[in-house]
Amino acid sequence: MYAYDTYDHAMVNARVAEFRDQVDRRMTGELTEEEFRPLRLMNGLYLQLHAYMLRVAIPYGTLSADQMRKLAHVARKYDKGYGHFTTRQNIQYNWPKLSETPDILQELADVEMHAIQTSGNCIRNVTTDQFAGAAADEVADPRPYAELIRQWSTFHPEFSFLPRKFKIAITGAAEDRAAVKWHDIGLVLKQNDAGEIGFEVLAGGGMGRTPVIAKSMRDFLPVPDMLSYLEAMLRVYNEQGRRDNKYKARIKILIDAMGIEEYTRQVNAEWEKIRHVPIDVPDEEVARIKAFFAPPPLAVLADDVAEVTELANTNFIFKAWLNNNTGAHKVPGHAHVTISLKPHGGIPGDASDAQMDLVADLADEYSQGEIRVSHEQNLILPHVAKKDLPALWAKLDGAGLGTPNAGLLTDIIACPGLDYCALANTRSIPIAQSITERFDDLKRLMDIGPLKIKISGCINSCGHHHAGHIGILGVDRRGDENYQLLLGGSGAEDASRAAILGPGFDEVGIVDAVEKVVAVYLGEREDEESFLNAYRRLGPNVFKEAVYGTD
Amino acid sequence: MVLINLTGIQPTGYTLLADDAQPKEGENIAVSTERLLSEDNAFFAVAGGVGAIITTGTSFSDLDALVGKLAFAVIDFPAFGDGRGFSLAVRLRKDFGFKGEIRATGPVIPDQALFLLRAGFDTVEVTASRKQAFEAALNRFPGFYQSDFAGQTSIAHARHTIEGLRVEGHRKAS
Repeated sequence: MYAYDTYDHAMVNARVAEFRDQVDRRMTGELTEEEFRPLRLMNGLYLQLHAYMLRVAIPYGTLSADQMRKLAHVARKYDKGYGHFTTRQNIQYNWPKLSETPDILQELADVEMHAIQTSGNCIRNVTTDQFAGAAADEVADPRPYAELIRQWSTFHPEFSFLPRKFKIAITGAAEDRAAVKWHDIGLVLKQNDAGEIGFEVLAGGGMGRTPVIAKSMRDFLPVPDMLSYLEAMLRVYNEQGRRDNKYKARIKILIDAMGIEEYTRQVNAEWEKIRHVPIDVPDEEVARIKAFFAPPPLAVLADDVAEVTELANTNFIFKAWLNNNTGAHKVPGHAHVTISLKPHGGIPGDASDAQMDLVADLADEYSQGEIRVSHEQNLILPHVAKKDLPALWAKLDGAGLGTPNAGLLTDIIACPGLDYCALANTRSIPIAQSITERFDDLKRLMDIGPLKIKISGCINSCGHHHAGHIGILGVDRRGDENYQLLLGGSGAEDASRAAILGPGFDEVGIVDAVEKVVAVYLGEREDEESFLNAYRRLGPNVFKEAVYGTD
Repeated sequence: MVLINLTGIQPTGYTLLADDAQPKEGENIAVSTERLLSEDNAFFAVAGGVGAIITTGTSFSDLDALVGKLAFAVIDFPAFGDGRGFSLAVRLRKDFGFKGEIRATGPVIPDQALFLLRAGFDTVEVTASRKQAFEAALNRFPGFYQSDFAGQTSIAHARHTIEGLRVEGHRKAS
């Protein structure tokens, strides 16, 4: 993991001091809320329906055990004993007191964390594959590049007041677990024929009221050119992105208007002017950062472990967890483990302080002290020896963290919705709870197989409904909460935009509709065909008939 | 209004030239970019220093023909969140090698002081009540991750200089 040096510490400490001063000025009335608003937003502090909400950055979703303990401590001391992990791999606290937020930020700074650029029209937390550095299918570890981007984009003198927020995702694996095609900029690490590492560069993706899948603008950008190319991309956007209408201000709108060819031409022209100016960090700095992400010292172990097989043969729950929540690691005899934050009937992405403390302890004991947060709102122990899986599972299961549903229908992404959010039209969490209760049958879930449900409580799409195999969008219909059903989206390498199936439902009707859609799939699927593939083959009509009837 | 001097430059005293007025001999004047683009060389010859008032809607390529004739530039922010002004300053310094004073006007906020300095601005016009906050903000951060137009090299580079390596407590990756 990256570790701060004096420079990094000085920067976050200066930020805390600055924010403390700003909060003091607000508390004494020297600043009005109107004047304070842009300042607090630069520190991830939102004013929501019932309270302030503090969004803390978890850079590229990577946490140490000590950092997780601090997150637990903050939840316990300053909040109501829980935190909410988000689709940007961050954590949100829903009940901090304004007067205490500088203390929270100081406590976080002490463990090398901050809330810088977790809101505002700037470059937000760079997200990546939650299995980075662990996944067997990886070309290269994306985290050193994500850290380089984090540093380059922090307090950038030119790109801190963009037309709109700006999200970058980066992945190093062929299977896209970071939804890069749904980002303003997506970077995909690749190896060329000469064996060199570089990036495919995609641009102009995004959700919201105008969902767009990013377009490829460069097939192979050599690694040393990454930051200068990003700078050219951001400069063209900063200059020409629309500022007259916040709903048309994202880069996707600019690229749609000028065309990806013209955008690419302008970026390339600018890049030619700057690529040899030393914007890019020196080679020694790249080497320094890379060294922090050296593979952990894992011993090569046997892949077949008798105790694991025995327990799987006698305990169906463990077998399901093994199938769904663990995956292939680079190092034989190891696995990465997904800790589901989606208990049936629970709140997607929430974790209590005790659960966070336990995950920290388990990371120390079983996973080299490392934890990840996924954009699907789960936690990951990236480096677990297979022989430890039975003991780890027992401890997780005992704390309500053993739900064996990773990647299944009940592993739902949901935004905070009207329970918390000032922008929401409808609640999202209760819909997720109703669906997981309706499908609370492990055998049935495993029969259905991989199925991603994503729920947003308004068109801003924080719940990624456009990318759901089944997407649910809450809308306000003359004062009533109404839920639209969308099918066929994907956030993976085969990204696609979900389409609305028909008229919306009330909060009970939407759960019935999901059940009918799943029933059609089970009836129509061929062999091992997944829900998404079946939908793509069948088209919407057969689902429409089942959900709405033929009359 | 008071002037915050970010770089220690000698600030230009000038008058705003009204749209229908002509420059007086030797007078420093600030004129809208649109008008300057249509004025001939005689206009520039009469005046002392000529500065362009650049709105954030101005395309940097429009400045190409003008920059060589300018003594200073005034970039006017219509709102503090309109970050095009930062790119305009960067373009003036980077693409055109402009060495004259770049001034920011409009409702920029104290917390932007270092962003302005680092993007290439020399001076900022602010309401008197904000002077103190602006000056405090200038001293807030010891360093940044980007090399900038105020002459500060990035932390990334500083880390690997002799002085940078001597910084007390500096940790290298193991």
